Amino acid sequence: MSAVSVDAAAGARKPSAVGNASGRNARMARTGWMVGAYAGCIAVSLSLCALLVSTTGGSAAKVFSALLDGSLRSPGAWGLTITTATPLLVVAMGTIVAAKAGITNIGQEGQLLLGAAATAYVATRVDLPGPLLLTLSLLAACVVGGLWAALAAVMRFTRQVPEVISTLLLVYIASQITTFGLTKKWLLLARVNKTRTNNGEPLPASGHLPVIHVFGNTITWGVVIALAITAIVGFTLSRTTIGFRLRMLGLNARTARRAGVSVVAFGGAALVISGITAGLAGGLWLTGGIAGDRFTGAISSNIGWQGLLVALLARERARLAIVMAFVFAALRTGSGFLAATGVDRRIADVVQAMLVLSLLVPPALEALRDHRRGTGVAA
Amino acid sequence: MTSASEGVAASAAAPSDPMAWKLHGRNSAPSVRLQRITKRYGQVVACDDVDLELHPGRIHGVLGENGAGKSTLMKILIGLIQPDEGTIDVHGSPVRITDPITASDLGIAMVHQHYSLVEQLTVWENVVLGEPTKLNRADACARVAALSERYGLGVDPLASVTRLTAGQRQRVEIIKCLRREPRIIVFDEPTSVLTPAESEQLFSVLRRVVVDEGRTVALVSHKLDEILHATDEVTIMRRGRVVDRLSTSKATASGLAQLMVGRPVSLRSEAAALGSIETITANVLSSALDDAADTADAADTAAALTTTVPSRPVVLDVRNITVIAKDGHRLLDDLSITVHAGEIVGLAGVEGNGQRTLGDLLASLVHADSGTVIVDGSEVDIHRPGALSAAGVGIIPEDRHDSGCVLDLSVAENLVLADLAKVAKRGVLNRKALEVRAVELMRAFDIQARSPHASMRSLSGGNQQRVVLARELSANPKVLIAAQPTRGLDVGAIEYMSERLRQAATDGVGVLLISTELEEVLTLADRVCVIHAGKIVGEMSRSAIDLERLGLLLGGMAA
Repeated sequence: MSAVSVDAAAGARKPSAVGNASGRNARMARTGWMVGAYAGCIAVSLSLCALLVSTTGGSAAKVFSALLDGSLRSPGAWGLTITTATPLLVVAMGTIVAAKAGITNIGQEGQLLLGAAATAYVATRVDLPGPLLLTLSLLAACVVGGLWAALAAVMRFTRQVPEVISTLLLVYIASQITTFGLTKKWLLLARVNKTRTNNGEPLPASGHLPVIHVFGNTITWGVVIALAITAIVGFTLSRTTIGFRLRMLGLNARTARRAGVSVVAFGGAALVISGITAGLAGGLWLTGGIAGDRFTGAISSNIGWQGLLVALLARERARLAIVMAFVFAALRTGSGFLAATGVDRRIADVVQAMLVLSLLVPPALEALRDHRRGTGVAA
Repeated sequence: MTSASEGVAASAAAPSDPMAWKLHGRNSAPSVRLQRITKRYGQVVACDDVDLELHPGRIHGVLGENGAGKSTLMKILIGLIQPDEGTIDVHGSPVRITDPITASDLGIAMVHQHYSLVEQLTVWENVVLGEPTKLNRADACARVAALSERYGLGVDPLASVTRLTAGQRQRVEIIKCLRREPRIIVFDEPTSVLTPAESEQLFSVLRRVVVDEGRTVALVSHKLDEILHATDEVTIMRRGRVVDRLSTSKATASGLAQLMVGRPVSLRSEAAALGSIETITANVLSSALDDAADTADAADTAAALTTTVPSRPVVLDVRNITVIAKDGHRLLDDLSITVHAGEIVGLAGVEGNGQRTLGDLLASLVHADSGTVIVDGSEVDIHRPGALSAAGVGIIPEDRHDSGCVLDLSVAENLVLADLAKVAKRGVLNRKALEVRAVELMRAFDIQARSPHASMRSLSGGNQQRVVLARELSANPKVLIAAQPTRGLDVGAIEYMSERLRQAATDGVGVLLISTELEEVLTLADRVCVIHAGKIVGEMSRSAIDLERLGLLLGGMAA
C-alpha cells in the first residue's frame, strides 16, 4: 500500500525539484572556501611563528628550512615521514569509527602502548619463523588493544560509566602495567641487560616490518596496511549497511534503536575496534623501527594522542585523515631538525603547536559560518 | 460552523487601506515598525516587502502556514537574521539589529517555539544562565519566585527541568524572557506543545503582561482559534507576503483560514487542524457534540467501518503493560489496548498521562516492567531494539527529531533507516537504488526538498513529517501508531496527514492515533479510548460518543 496517490490538495505546491546540479556547485564553492581558509590560517600561523622565532633571537628562515629539511627535503626524509604517519593514520581510523557511532574513545595512547608491549612480548619470547612471528606479534597487539578498550565498553554498557572518562584513565593504568612489565624478565625486561636501564629486549630481525626502498627513502609495509585499513573504513562507513547503522547510532541513538540498531552491539563494537586499531598502531610503530629496536616505556610518545587529533582535524573523514596524518608526521620529523638551528627546544614546540592550532581553526570557522547563515530554510 | 462565504465577507470588510489601519491602531505610536522588509535565501523569498507595526498594550497576531515567512520576520526583529532590504524603527527611531544582544538592549525578547533549557539544571540555574554577574542562589530563587508569583506562573525555582512538563518548561522560558523586563516580546508558536488548559493559562499571563504593564506582544501562530482568542489585531502572511491585516474582532475563523491558505477551506474537514485552545467546558463539549453528530451523519465510510470493525482481526494487542519510572512513578499502569485491522483507534487524554511512554514502548525505546505486546497474532520481544518495527509496527512519533528521523542524514537515507534490505545487496548499499526509491517516495508523498541528498535538517517541519510518514507507510505496516501527528503542522499539512491516516485504515492498517487534541480524535477515530494516569479509563465507539462522559474521563473522573 505504499506510494498511493499524490494528494490533490497539495498539488497546488510546486513539484519537488530533484536535480542536484546546484548542490554540486555549492559543494565546490564550499571546498574552495575550506582550502582558502586552511591556506590563510597556516599563513597567519607561520607569520606568528616567524615573529616569535625572530623576537627570541633566532632566524625564522632557518627554522622553516629546518622543518622542511627534516620532514621532506633531506635524503630519506619523506620516507621517514610516511612511516611516522602510518601509526597516526591507523589510530585515526579507529577513532573515526568510534566517533561515527557516537563513542568518544580518548584512550588511544594507552591502547597503543599495550599493543606495542604485546608485540614486543610475542616478538621476543615466541620462537616462530619470520613472517609468522611478525603476523602473530601484530595480531597480539590488536587483541590486547581491543581488550583494553573492551574494559571501557563493559563499564559503559553495564554500569553507564562514560567512556570518555574510563578510556582516559585506562591510559594511566596501561602505563603502569608496562612499567611493571619492564621490571620483570619473564615479561618485557631484556633478559640480558647491560645498560641497567629498564628496557625491552631488541626485536629479532624477523620481528621487524619489511621495508620498501623508493628513491633513497625507506618505507615500511605498515603504510600498505594503514592505507588498506583506511580504504576499508572509508568504504564501510559510507557504503555498507553496517556503516549506515553505525552513523545512525551516532547521530540519533533513539531513532537508531527503533530501527533495530543495538547500542550495546554497535557502540561496543565501535569502541573495541578503535582499541584494536590503536593496539595495531602500537605494533606497527614498534616494528617499523623508527622508534628504536626495542620496547621502552616511552615508546608511545604521544602517537596515540596525535592520532586522536588527526581524526578530529580530519573531521571524521577517512580520506582527509591521510593528509592530516602526513602533516602531523611531517611536524614530528621536521621538528627533529629544529635543534640544529640553535632555537630553543621549547620554542620549537610552540611552533609545532601553533601549526596544529592553525589546522583547528578552519573547521571551527566553517561551523560558525554555517551557524550564521542559519539552515537557509524560511519558516 | 461558519461558512466560507462569511469569511470572505469579513476579510473584504477588513481594513486593507492604510487609513483604516491607522484608525484602529489607535493613537498610540507603534513601538515597532518594520518597513519593506525583504529576505531572500537563494531563489526563495522568505519575506517579500513586508510591513508590520506593533503597538504597546496590544497583542498582535502574525498568522500564516508553515513556511509563510512569519518566523523569518520575527528572527529579523530579534537580530538572528539580517534582512536584505527594509528598515526597522523601535520606539520611533531607526535601528539596526545586528544580533540578539542588540535586540535585548532595545528591549526586544523572544520566547522560542523550541525551548533552549539545560535539562540537567534546575529552573533558577536556567534562568540566570548567561548572566555576567556573580551567582547568588538565594537571590536568583527569590527573583524567579517573585516573577512566578507576579504572573501566576507557578514555577518552582528549585525544580529540575528534566521533570517539568512542556507547559512548565515554557513558563520557565517566559520567566527567562520577562526577567530582563523587555518592552517587546515575541511568542513563536507558543501553544504547539501545550495542553488546552496550559494554553488558556498562557493567554491569561499574556493579558497581564500586555494590558496591565503596557508591553508589546507579537504572537506568531498558525492556529486560528489561538489568534481569534488571544490577539487584538492580526497580520496574515502567505508565501512571504502580507496578504491582509485586520482587527481580530472583525475576523472569523473561516475568513482567516481562507486568507492564510489562499483558498476556501472546509473547516469541517479541518476541525483538528485549527486546533482548539478552549478547555473542555460544557459549552465546547455541547458544540463538539453537534459536530460529532454531524460528522457521523456525513461520514458514511466511517459508519460503515464502525460496524465492520469487530469482525476484523486484532493487529495490535497491548496487554497489561506496566512501566515504572526510576522514582517509582507508574508511567503506564497495567495498560491494555487493542487495535483491529482497518480501524482508527483514537487515544484521547490530557498531555502527560503516559501517551509518550506508550509511544516509546511501541518503538522499543522503554523498558516495560511487565506485560506483553502481540502484533498480528504473535508476541514480540519488546526489549529487543527494532523488534516492533520488524514485526510491522510503524510509528509517527510525537517528537520526530527525537526518534523519528536523523537530521544530519539525507532525505533519501531517512526514507530507509530500518528498511535497508530494500536498497542493499550483501550488506553493500546501492546508492542508485536509494536515490530511485527516494525520488519515488518524494513524488508519492509530495515531499518538498532540493534533492534526495538534501539534509533532513534543511526541510520544513511539514516536509520532515512527510518523510517520516512516507517511510513508515512504505514498509507496509500492520499497525501504524500516529502520536500527535499533526502537532506543529499547518492547515494544509494537517489535512494531508488526516487524509493519509484514513487511507491507511481503508487499506487495512490498524491505526492508533494518540492525540491530546480532542477534536482531532473525534474527527478521525472510529473508536475512542481515554488514557489517564497511565491507564485506559474508558472506551466508546464513534457512534456512541458521550461527550460529557468523555470530558469526565479526560479529567480523570470515573464515569
